[in-house]
Amino acid sequence: MQQEALADIEDFGGPDPLTELPRAAFAGKDAPYARYRLGAPYDEMFAPDGRPRTSYAALDRRLTSLPLDELVRRQHACEQSFLHQGITFTVYNDSQATERIIPTDLLPRIVTAKEWDHVERGLIQRIQALNLFLGDIYGDAKVLKDGIVPREMIFGSKHYRREMRGIPVPHGAYVNVCGSDLVRNEAGEFLVLEDNLRVPSGVSYMLANRDVVRRAFPGIFRSMNVRAIEQYPLELLATLRALAPFDQDVSIAVLTPGVFNSAYFEHAFLARQMGVELVEGRDLLVNDNIVYTRTTSGLKRIDVIYRRIDDDFVDPLIFRENSSLGVPGLLNAYRAGNVVIANALGTGVADDKAIYAYVPRLIRYYLSEEPLLGSVETFLCREEKSLSHVLDNLDRLVVKAVGESGGYGMLVGPHASQSERAAFAEKLKADPDNYIAQPTIALSTAPTFVGDGVEARHVDLRPFILTGAETKLVPGALTRVALKQGSLVVNSSQGGGSKDTWVLSA
Amino acid sequence: MLSRVADSLYWMSRYIERAEHTARVLAVKLESMAEQTPDDGRASWSRVVQALGDMSWDEVPDDAFAITKRLAFDRTNASSLIASLTLARDNARQVREALSNEVWGNLNRLYLYLSAVQGDSIRAHAPASLFRRALDEMQALEGVIYSTLSHNEGWYFLELGKYIERAQLLGRLLDVYFRKDGVQPKYFDWLVLLKFCTAFEPYTKLYTASVRPQKLAQFLLFDAEFPHSICFSIDRVSEALAHVAPGAAPGRRAAVERLAGRLKAGVDFGQIDELMSGGIDVFLSDITRQCEKIHEVVFASYITYGAETVL
Repeated sequence: MQQEALADIEDFGGPDPLTELPRAAFAGKDAPYARYRLGAPYDEMFAPDGRPRTSYAALDRRLTSLPLDELVRRQHACEQSFLHQGITFTVYNDSQATERIIPTDLLPRIVTAKEWDHVERGLIQRIQALNLFLGDIYGDAKVLKDGIVPREMIFGSKHYRREMRGIPVPHGAYVNVCGSDLVRNEAGEFLVLEDNLRVPSGVSYMLANRDVVRRAFPGIFRSMNVRAIEQYPLELLATLRALAPFDQDVSIAVLTPGVFNSAYFEHAFLARQMGVELVEGRDLLVNDNIVYTRTTSGLKRIDVIYRRIDDDFVDPLIFRENSSLGVPGLLNAYRAGNVVIANALGTGVADDKAIYAYVPRLIRYYLSEEPLLGSVETFLCREEKSLSHVLDNLDRLVVKAVGESGGYGMLVGPHASQSERAAFAEKLKADPDNYIAQPTIALSTAPTFVGDGVEARHVDLRPFILTGAETKLVPGALTRVALKQGSLVVNSSQGGGSKDTWVLSA
Repeated sequence: MLSRVADSLYWMSRYIERAEHTARVLAVKLESMAEQTPDDGRASWSRVVQALGDMSWDEVPDDAFAITKRLAFDRTNASSLIASLTLARDNARQVREALSNEVWGNLNRLYLYLSAVQGDSIRAHAPASLFRRALDEMQALEGVIYSTLSHNEGWYFLELGKYIERAQLLGRLLDVYFRKDGVQPKYFDWLVLLKFCTAFEPYTKLYTASVRPQKLAQFLLFDAEFPHSICFSIDRVSEALAHVAPGAAPGRRAAVERLAGRLKAGVDFGQIDELMSGGIDVFLSDITRQCEKIHEVVFASYITYGAETVL
């Protein structure tokens, strides 16, 4: 039962693909791009005239020099590798649970050094402002007194946690791990579409994709100077360590809802890569405001918990009584300062889709800087003028429920039927505060291996930002792909896949 | 280590051992079918069904494929090969972070290989060779468990599970063959029994090819050097118990070690001639009971203890 090889021996020798003479294969004309449609305002690989962009030249040469069936074989080998590693999620049907891999694409998405530099600086700026904002609203609330953000948007948010008021947070870092979703506009500039400040996932796919795609294209991977991302678990560990009040023997655990959670692979993966315990709620207990794990040799104290369960489930004594995922008494131990929880509780109030509209103002307010990254024009349906504009233009807008994530509770106007739009309009009128609307973002397209050829599919970009004593990113991201032709929904819960992302060093 | 992790490692290992035992018994049984008369074959299948713990048949059907299908691929049969492998893999998934990529990958591939076999298609699969291939994979799995995991506390929980299970499986198998009631095994049945335990060649090196029940019992019960003997298994259980829960309170450790010591003494000083003159069934069921007791006390002392007992 040998694993299938991902590349040929020729990938390890022969002429450097970058020094070969360029040959032109046009999108929509030549194999393997015969079915490639350049419809989106921006395509990652091809310029509007159908020629590959410089950053994709080496990949283009490799794709056009390999026989199609060899590409098919490598795509299959990538999928097998995921299946054998158990990088799967479980779909429950009537009778039995089946495991599926999250579809992974053979072709890397390439981000140039210059583009990355801008994204990196923009995200660091953004997360710094958001952390200051959280510290403010759980502290003196100056931002509300100064009228920058309406008071009721904070206190009315279901993600606002009264219990967090006045609790000091190490380094003021509420959001220790953030996964922001970026898209490109037609000029090729990156815009922030969404901040995920609660328990963002996907970083294990970033690393797993790299692992297989690097092996599928070893030659060009080497020659293109792709920046390394393998240090992510180490950076995460350093971030978590920096949250403890002392340096020596910090005891860290990753808290998972358990094996039935769709991100369980990631939880186990990160625990293993960091060399820390993976715990479930039932492994932890609180005595005298101190958190312990139950070990074979007795109880062992825990100092920092990287929790991968939602706020609502953390402590059944305070939040959901019927939850068995969390740990009774954990919140009191946290308030007593005996354990650090990362991300802090209550961060969801700042990644609310309505607060999103205020982030540029927050950056100016806290940092006295202009935002480096653009964001998407957002209509707050709570404002009467916006609401009527939204209702009049439902066929051109994307409407989203404020507190939802994962692609739920949204209407993609241009793709919805007349009756779907009418039904949604009723929901909107009934509870306008709960909705925002944005123009349809025509996500950029990137080459994706489909069937036996390369086609254009819409993608976004999710880099991961770590904040402990300082804020930093590893030079990489999860690129999510809407695998259905023309679809704009990239969420894995809604049939999306993912791609490796190559950030170039020069 | 986390009590929950120890729990899963222990059970993962027990289920792998059970799956391997089932696969080997079925492979050997299917390979030896051609050499038995139909009547002897029926008696022999009946012993296999009893030894593999499926009591739900009133009468064992006269159909090797139906039996194989039920013992190997029927997910509703809790002791089938595929049920054991599924549980082994479920436990491994629970403690994925405590295993190496090699161990997980090997177990996962083995599971995917066997779970693709549909019960009705086994006629087309040449089942004996299918089980042989699964056994090769299981031995590779045993190899990576030995060579890619640190031999720390977690590894000793794997050892503990494996050898407690092995001692119990051997106990049940021998019990079925040494029973006084029913059709008594013939010479060929004893040969097959040795092969069920991968013991034929090691046995002949010690006792020549003259296979006699008493010698065979002596070998499978008391040989200290052969890995599929009860004595060897109990030795490994004692050693594993000396290495798990190193930081536990002395009182807790003492309760476990006392039981292990008693079991080991019983096996070390057992006399085959006394047993053969009657009482081998009592001896075997006593070993099974003591293994169960060790399991209970290990769980009570190291895994399911109440927090109030240690604070």
